[in-house]
Amino acid sequence: MTSQDTDARDLLGNALSADDRELLDLYRRLHALSRRDDLPPVATANVKQAMVLLWNACNDLALLHEEPGCD
Amino acid sequence: MAATESIYYNPKTETLAKDQLRALQLLKLQRLVERSWHHSPFHRRLYEKAGVTPDKIKTLDDIRRLPFMTREDWMACQAEKPLFGDMITRPEQDAIRYHLTSGTSGRQPLRVLDSRKDWSWIADMWCYGFWGFGIRPSDKVFFAFSYGSFIGFWGAHYCCEKLGCLTLASGNMTTEQRVKQIVEMGVTVVCATPTYALRMGQTAEKMGIDLRKDGRVRRVVVSGEPAGSIPAVKKMIEEMWGGKCGDTAGMTEIGTIMIFECDHQPGGPHIIEDHFIEEVLDPDSGEPMGYGERGERVVTSFGRGFIPLLRYKTKDLVCKVPHTRCTCGRTGDIYEGGILGRVDDMKLIRGTNVYPRAVEAVVREHSEVEEFQIVIDRKDNVQDEITVKVELKPDQTECWPRLQAQLGKDLADAHEGLRFNLELCKQGELPRFELKAKRLQDLRPQY
Repeated sequence: MTSQDTDARDLLGNALSADDRELLDLYRRLHALSRRDDLPPVATANVKQAMVLLWNACNDLALLHEEPGCD
Repeated sequence: MAATESIYYNPKTETLAKDQLRALQLLKLQRLVERSWHHSPFHRRLYEKAGVTPDKIKTLDDIRRLPFMTREDWMACQAEKPLFGDMITRPEQDAIRYHLTSGTSGRQPLRVLDSRKDWSWIADMWCYGFWGFGIRPSDKVFFAFSYGSFIGFWGAHYCCEKLGCLTLASGNMTTEQRVKQIVEMGVTVVCATPTYALRMGQTAEKMGIDLRKDGRVRRVVVSGEPAGSIPAVKKMIEEMWGGKCGDTAGMTEIGTIMIFECDHQPGGPHIIEDHFIEEVLDPDSGEPMGYGERGERVVTSFGRGFIPLLRYKTKDLVCKVPHTRCTCGRTGDIYEGGILGRVDDMKLIRGTNVYPRAVEAVVREHSEVEEFQIVIDRKDNVQDEITVKVELKPDQTECWPRLQAQLGKDLADAHEGLRFNLELCKQGELPRFELKAKRLQDLRPQY
């Protein structure tokens, strides 16, 4: 966990809970993984799907608001 | 608390205090305007013409600085730059779904594209509604839906998979096959248009199946027609199926639903306010209408990334009331009576305003009626006449003289004394529908 995450707040200005931070961390890791082009198709395709579902959770919980059309 | 014990799909934002909800909407609006300005030439042109730039959006009231977006603008944009116009914010190859509007108005359908995130968001909005209406992972959900290019219940299907329900697609099945499978599989939730939910119920009766006794349906989720919020229609559906009937409403232009009835059913559906701004405006002046006043729905959606939708004039007629009307704890306001009709579907008959939904509300109070049609024509090129053609249930034909008199009186009472002609039709004479019903024919000359 980075200090940025510890200090981070949601879109409403609330301090992030441990669960919030875990969700965001998972999303960011999956997002980074989904952008790699050196993984086999089976990994890329499934990681992208997983990343999108984590984005749903983070977006709905107002933890982030990223450009929705962008994978 | 275990997840399945929550009555809210998203407890955090569904119960957010109004001031916080407004702050969240403002933040999302500012980012949406910024993104549309930079990535959608269509929106940039609209804003430049109106003299508005993203930095002008400082409060939620500043949404009124943004110009309206209309279906006509969208169609023109697609026609000028086929296939999708220049409103899409991403390259076409980033899309995973392609859908069309239903085209029931006879015009060129709108074409829409969705990315992975868009599509997942679309399913998530349905999740708000399904969860809110009491649907849980243990449910078996049946979709009486054709699964074509019309978006319809597609998002709801993916919502049910996401929730973990057993999800049954019925695609090209006949009505009889659908009824049979619903009973055989012990389906607990059925999704259909209100018209088709009634038709399946009528078909079951003809097959000798009592859905209340032989089936296990506990929820009927309807969408696609204003009839889903007419109390008499819901009552008929509930009596046929033996389960609670709940309304939802959405549109292809946003890809999903923006309102849903919660389990408390306070007389209308809640707005999903953390994902949409729903304005209710005077259709002529564009001025905001207050709580309890009828006006046109104008929607801004935060979810679909491929096609930004800001201040889209829907032509839906609604009446917003405060969320406090419901005791469920959600802070999303309510559209009393659901979608009340279309701003442009009002018919003027001999000086009286007639809305098809209002006629249906009266007709459906009479349980003897199986199907009906409204026909408007002009007698001798002068006088407009309105006729309701009625098909009775097979065992109700004896009641016609009494029903004719009563229905004529009820329709006149609901329409400032306007005389309605009533015509009895033979069994099976009137058309039946699977998707959106077309029960009105206006045969008057169009100038």
